Amino acid sequence: MPLDSHEKARCLLHRSLVEGISLNDRHWLDAHAGQCAECARYADLSARAVRALDWFAIEPDPAAALRVENIVRSRAEEMRSAESRVKSLWIGTGIALFLTFTGSAVTWHALAGLASQWNLPSRVWQIVFAAFWVLPSFLLALLPLFRRIFLGEDSDSKGQTI
Amino acid sequence: MVAVVTAFSDGAEHESQRIARALRRRDSEFIGRIVSQYHCRLLRYLVYWTSRREQAEDLVQETWLRVLEHAEQYDGRLRFEPWLFSIARNLAIDHLRKQQTATHRMCQENEPGVDPPAPDFESPFFAAARSEDAKRIAAALGALEPIYREALLLRFQEDLSLAEIAQVAGAPITTVSSRIYRGLSMLEAALGGGTDAA
Repeated sequence: MPLDSHEKARCLLHRSLVEGISLNDRHWLDAHAGQCAECARYADLSARAVRALDWFAIEPDPAAALRVENIVRSRAEEMRSAESRVKSLWIGTGIALFLTFTGSAVTWHALAGLASQWNLPSRVWQIVFAAFWVLPSFLLALLPLFRRIFLGEDSDSKGQTI
Repeated sequence: MVAVVTAFSDGAEHESQRIARALRRRDSEFIGRIVSQYHCRLLRYLVYWTSRREQAEDLVQETWLRVLEHAEQYDGRLRFEPWLFSIARNLAIDHLRKQQTATHRMCQENEPGVDPPAPDFESPFFAAARSEDAKRIAAALGALEPIYREALLLRFQEDLSLAEIAQVAGAPITTVSSRIYRGLSMLEAALGGGTDAA
């Protein structure tokens, strides 16, 4: 038997295990292994080497597996609630922007209409329009100051007690 | 009729797409199930990489947390396993690199009383080896570089295709197949040596 046929058999044998071989090659290999004891032994060795990997079953620790599962689950829940908060924030911002622009346009036209009915100078209703937007923010900004003055709350000492 | 169509589409839906959707929705129940389902395989893969059981167990957790962080990248069109293993692989490589740097630094500094970590390459395999043949294979596996062990595991135990292994390893298919051939030859040599000796 030519030496090349043994090399071919070993090559086909490995290929059959790793990536698969054609039916013709399989027939040739089986026929060769049937005639050549050395290659048949090598085929058996290769099959044993692959099967041998199954001997090293890594037994998982159930407690460790459960711990990982719980950590991952709670992290998933944290991420979901954080993402839903961010989503709500974006929706809120979108609604606020929409209301700002539409509200400004509606207020502007309403004040202009009222001013023309009551014959008010344009400067007056424009100041009222500006106040309509600025006053709420201004009052909100003053609120902590009022609380501090009238309720006697001290934000610095509150911060230190934590 | 609608119920029949819905049932059919549910049945036909690929597992990987279900996983991708659950990951994107942060469905903790489903995620818990897949963590449990893949735990053993992921642990085995990481043991093959790190050769240390404790490190592999830590890396399993890190892998899942990274899976959650990068959930948007998995669209479910390909199988889940290669994507999962590629994340685990990157973490294992980072971990080994850090370990090597630390060992190198300790050796350079030559601090008294501080020894570099003892090599523990065979322990997880030896721990599982029951027979003489298994011990020979364990020694061969311990001597193999992780990239060869990884290739053997993914091909013969995880039953991944060469293309999927290439995806995990980030290497061409030819490189992956040559790693498998080389690993297989080493295992054959280990077994063959034992048979001859016997």
